[in-house]
Amino acid sequence: MSLTSSPFPRRGLLAGMGAAGAALGLAACGSGSESGATPKSDESHKDFVMTVWGGEADKAAYQARIDLAKEKFPDYTITLQLIPSENYEQKVQTMISSKTGPDIMQVAENVNVYASKKQLVPIDDYLSQGGLDLESTFGPVGANYAWDGATYGVPDRSGAMVLYYNKDLFDEAGVDYPSADWDWDAFLDAAKKLTDPAKGQFGFGGVGWWPQWFSLVAQNGGNVLDPESGAPGVNSPEAVEALQFAYDLYFTHKVAPTSVDYSNMGPDMGADGAFQQGLVAMNATGFWGVGGNAAIEGLNWDIAPFFHGAQQAVSAFGSALVIPTAAKNPQGSFEIIQFLTSAEGQAPIADKGQDVPANLELQESDTFLDPEWLEADVDLQAFPDSADMIFTPKFIPEWNEMQKAIEDAMASFWLGESDAQATADDLQGRLERVIKPTK
Amino acid sequence: MTTAVVPVAADAAGRESAPGRRRPRPRLAPHRRREALFFYLFISPWAIGFLVFLLGPMIFSFYLSFTDWDSFTAPVWVGLDNYITLLTDDPIFLKVMGNTAFYSLISVPLGMVVSLFIANLLNKKVRFRKLFRTLVYLPHLIPIVAVALIFQMVFAPEAGPLNQALALIGIEGPNWLMDARWVKPALILMSLWQAGGGTILLLAGMNGIPKELYEAAEIDGASGFRQFWSVTFPQLTPVIFFNLIMGIIGSFQVFAQVFILTGGGPDNASQMAVPMLFDEAFRFYHMGYGSAIAWILFVVIMIFTAIAFATSGRWVFYESEVRS
Repeated sequence: MSLTSSPFPRRGLLAGMGAAGAALGLAACGSGSESGATPKSDESHKDFVMTVWGGEADKAAYQARIDLAKEKFPDYTITLQLIPSENYEQKVQTMISSKTGPDIMQVAENVNVYASKKQLVPIDDYLSQGGLDLESTFGPVGANYAWDGATYGVPDRSGAMVLYYNKDLFDEAGVDYPSADWDWDAFLDAAKKLTDPAKGQFGFGGVGWWPQWFSLVAQNGGNVLDPESGAPGVNSPEAVEALQFAYDLYFTHKVAPTSVDYSNMGPDMGADGAFQQGLVAMNATGFWGVGGNAAIEGLNWDIAPFFHGAQQAVSAFGSALVIPTAAKNPQGSFEIIQFLTSAEGQAPIADKGQDVPANLELQESDTFLDPEWLEADVDLQAFPDSADMIFTPKFIPEWNEMQKAIEDAMASFWLGESDAQATADDLQGRLERVIKPTK
Repeated sequence: MTTAVVPVAADAAGRESAPGRRRPRPRLAPHRRREALFFYLFISPWAIGFLVFLLGPMIFSFYLSFTDWDSFTAPVWVGLDNYITLLTDDPIFLKVMGNTAFYSLISVPLGMVVSLFIANLLNKKVRFRKLFRTLVYLPHLIPIVAVALIFQMVFAPEAGPLNQALALIGIEGPNWLMDARWVKPALILMSLWQAGGGTILLLAGMNGIPKELYEAAEIDGASGFRQFWSVTFPQLTPVIFFNLIMGIIGSFQVFAQVFILTGGGPDNASQMAVPMLFDEAFRFYHMGYGSAIAWILFVVIMIFTAIAFATSGRWVFYESEVRS
């Protein structure tokens, strides 16, 4: 065995290469693109690639929609590329940088990573030509996918966060089922009655995830990010008061499991899993809970709109379709997007129980509200009822850095080791470091 | 690589007409040219692989480390800014390098002691020796993702077996993965579980130690411990040295455990260099900044490896070597 030389330099080099290995792929032609006006469309280009993230259920729904689009546009070939969620951002980053980007692309909170770097086609002209009014078709989320005065995305999926509740536990405790009328006090009162330490049962799943506590801040009239500039404002009195309410849920009233409690329940356990096991009576989460809970035998549950504070506000989980600048025929891409986001084009989202379609007309229709795939008697009306309450934090280009700063700064807060004001001040400082407000 | 080259070289040496005599570069005979051609043909997959997948990206990342590049728009040259920011103004980089060094400098020696201890036990003529050897090596074969999920359960504050075992002897175990003081020790504990990889190499080394040495030691009246210390250990030093170098390099590059188990938390208490590099380059779109981290890490690994090599003359013994 030659121990003196060969293993070491080679592996040593590898150490330095973590990032660069992947960077080479991007290196070839990572140059800037011209921006501004709507680019020219090469109408002879009829092959379209569409990238989306997700799993098998998502694939089925997207493919069904693309099949509908192919009937509508017989000249076009549309290829679906499904990328596992955890690799999606890196994968499209590589594709775009090496000029092999898709013609249609799914984006969510990360939309302005691309828009701010001129990697997306502004679609305002197409929208007016195609007669598509985002505000009336999709409600408040219609305005989500804009940057610096231009619109980049058409909302595709958009489901408000709703309150799942375990009917059996409510009946046992003699508490009325939740409704949109609940305010913080009514909610807290119910959560206390539904908490039973002897049984290891908690009233509520918690608000430790950003869509949850951002909602509380917005309900209290605060803004984690300024809606106009994106500047952080997490230590405003309104925001601190909301954080204090969150803190009290865990450590004063003890109605929600802390991360320590969750890790004692089992590996990878969170609020969704604990709800399915009847360990929490209420849980605020997205549409995926419907399918997840429906699969649990003996779980007697329903959903209601999220409660409100001084104001109504609730986060939503959504995504949009955009056109990368590398698309050769953006006009064609837009035609396909316009069809895919119509009530007809989004119908498979509802039919297959994949998600909440963003199109309000479809959201209000029986296709979504009374689907065949769902046997349980669940009041899906909670989703369209919440649509008007949806607030969306500004999608800043530094979204991922913001998430990291939040996770870092709030780790001790969720363990009860630092108070609301100190945490908010600390987080504010960290956010100011990473976020560059637009104005 | 060697398998492809050696036969050619041996063949060439055998037919050499005048070995030892120096000549100006001779014109190659046709068959020699063919051999040379084959040499380049056979070596080319490795050579091309090295140039394209290793050297090329390295040079490019070195260039990138002097730029600000979001991977979409053209890189902007910023000179030494990335390095200066990292070393003087980054809120977490020094902490992260400290974490990485802490992890490496404790887990590597500890892992080597544990694997040496186990190897010595398994080298004894005990019953079920093969079974034990298999069991010790088994954790090494489990994918790190699965290991991380298992240890998520092991480290659970109250329900976890580790803290339940500690409770039996009256110790209230810490909240391993959520407590800034205990998260690094937790990762080190987890790395020890996989010490079986080093054990196998050491066992192989032990089998290669000549029996005469032990016989001679026994005749001289050496105790079991003395035999271990004066015969087994020195004979094993090349393997231990190999484990040390690989351990240093591997532990400085620790990634998956951190990424899956803690995400670097709480508040970067367990954040390490490579996960940070990954975040910067692929989540935050700071490709240049990430490259600068890579190069600083490269230099740090180089330094530690160089220290290991520099001191190796004093404690690593090769069989053929004669010491005065």
